[in-house]
Amino acid sequence: MYFAQLLILGLLAGAVLSLVAIGFTLVIGVGKIANFAHGAFVAGGMYLGYEAYVAWHISPYLTLLPALAFFALVGWAVAEVFEQRGRKVGEVGELLVGLALLLLINGLLEVAFTDNPRSLTGVNIGSLSVTGISIPWTELVAAIFTFAVAGGLHVLVRTSRWGRAMRATAEDPVVAGLQGIRVPIVQRMAVTLSIVVAGLAGVIIAPFTVLTPSAGTTFLISAFAVVVLGGIGSTAGAVLAGLAIGIIDSMAAGYLSSYWTTLAPLLIILGYLLIRPNRVTT
Amino acid sequence: MTNRAAALATRYRGPLALLAVLVVGWLVAGAVDATTVTILVLALYYSIGGLSFNFLYGSLGIFSLAQPVFVAVGGYTSIYLYNTYGISPWLSLFIAPVIAAIIALPIALVATRIGGGAVLTALVTLIVAEAATPLLIAIKPLGGAIGLYAKSPPNPTFWDMQFANGADFVKILLVINVLLIGFWMWWRHSKYGLFTTAVKDAPEAAASVGVANARIRLSVFLVAAMLAAPAGVVYAQYNLLTSPDLFLGATAMFQFIVVALVGGAARPWGALVGSLIITWLSQEVSNWSGGNAGAAPLTFAVIFVIMALIVPRGISGTWERIVERRRPKVSASLGPIAAGRSAAPGDGPGAAARREADGEGVTSPRITAT
Repeated sequence: MYFAQLLILGLLAGAVLSLVAIGFTLVIGVGKIANFAHGAFVAGGMYLGYEAYVAWHISPYLTLLPALAFFALVGWAVAEVFEQRGRKVGEVGELLVGLALLLLINGLLEVAFTDNPRSLTGVNIGSLSVTGISIPWTELVAAIFTFAVAGGLHVLVRTSRWGRAMRATAEDPVVAGLQGIRVPIVQRMAVTLSIVVAGLAGVIIAPFTVLTPSAGTTFLISAFAVVVLGGIGSTAGAVLAGLAIGIIDSMAAGYLSSYWTTLAPLLIILGYLLIRPNRVTT
Repeated sequence: MTNRAAALATRYRGPLALLAVLVVGWLVAGAVDATTVTILVLALYYSIGGLSFNFLYGSLGIFSLAQPVFVAVGGYTSIYLYNTYGISPWLSLFIAPVIAAIIALPIALVATRIGGGAVLTALVTLIVAEAATPLLIAIKPLGGAIGLYAKSPPNPTFWDMQFANGADFVKILLVINVLLIGFWMWWRHSKYGLFTTAVKDAPEAAASVGVANARIRLSVFLVAAMLAAPAGVVYAQYNLLTSPDLFLGATAMFQFIVVALVGGAARPWGALVGSLIITWLSQEVSNWSGGNAGAAPLTFAVIFVIMALIVPRGISGTWERIVERRRPKVSASLGPIAAGRSAAPGDGPGAAARREADGEGVTSPRITAT
């Protein structure tokens, strides 16, 4: 019973990790950019959902649509900056832009909402009871959203023309360019898409997550862990690895002690890198 | 000044500048009010951490976000040893780097072996930095999330390093800064420094003449960790406290990098210059905004954004470039031959002269008119 409960909690938490990581794997694989601000956009989405609910009483689920437009615009601008700096200064230039954005979003959220943790308590859409274990619908919706996004992206990348262009770019940008694929546009689309997914993920997890401005860093790290375990560029890998880390987290917290939740995935990933340091070269 | 004295002054420009900074800083520390002392302590503390980052990044291009961890090692070593065994923090200044190096070893093994350049090392070291807080909380003797408070003896002596006056800490940090910058200046021209440059710029060529790449990369990482530790010792004594939040809080994490990169990546003076400017600016903004807690981190962030977009070389780097441009490229006796040779590639002969004529040069028409 206790085990089943932990398993379900782990799966739900893992779905959130997967959702954050799907965009990250896309941006590393296709965009060839390790966007350090990825988690910060999740944090931005969380506070967007929070503010919309607290200030205008709009349900986070209704906020999703305007958030989509907002993050698409922001994402395109950010992709443009990455592209410019990347061309001029190279990899370190992109790293700096990512770090700078992370700090900037963090700082802005801190000024606007202070450092105190907040939570969005008003959104309650009931809960589902499975063999005596009650699961809040808010978390279920997030999990369903994860699978929808992952499935949608998978189909898009596998079947559409645009998806083929993305896969070609991921494999070899130069050759893809020679075949007439507009590589800069494809890469910008990938960055934009990843930021949109990150922002929407933030909005959808806002009802059941503790909101802190620095959550961006935590999300970045878990996304990185998931991507390394799941393999760069693989949506299915990101989902599986996310669920696995979620379950490990939840078991560690349930059977050991609460601080293991944060520690366990970090140790797993460090141990993994120590054994196979060459796994993650993009 | 005679020619000989001038030549000597040019030759020992670095050490002389360090000496001047030390003397001026020492005098300033004794003369300013309490608020300025607080700013100076912070600035000098950040600059040591930044220097440690800069040393590693400049030597090998390893972008380490784990430096705050080694600073924290310093803080914890000092307070723990003092509280438990009564060991003076002055001794901890030397013990902490050793412990930092031991802790850095496994991290260095991952960070220096991983392929994929600066971005991946940055992510891996970020994981280390994030893992440090829960680890510290998990180790019971280190005080958990609250941390450790230094015991205060009834009559603190010099050996307890507990001064009521912040200015004393400014002086200690100043000396450490000057020593570390001096160390780096020496290192650059030492055998190890040259090996390191070789490993960074041409690993295959270095290996072929017998430089042990892996060992050099590993030891530079360890040295950088050792440089960071003393900052933690002094900062913990200044606060009489060591805690995860003090060293590894969300805002504390990135300040070293910002300070180093804004000041100028890979330059011995970079972190000190960047740190003084940024700390002062963020204090001003914080005052101006009426003490909003988020104002200082936001200032850091905005400065960092400006730097990442406009001056990727940082302040020191940009300054060097300006000096380079203004320096007359032609010596009067050698004339245009030297002009062609000394100009930067692509500039073409006469570029220096053109720049002079373009109005940067009210300085010296006589040089171009040879």
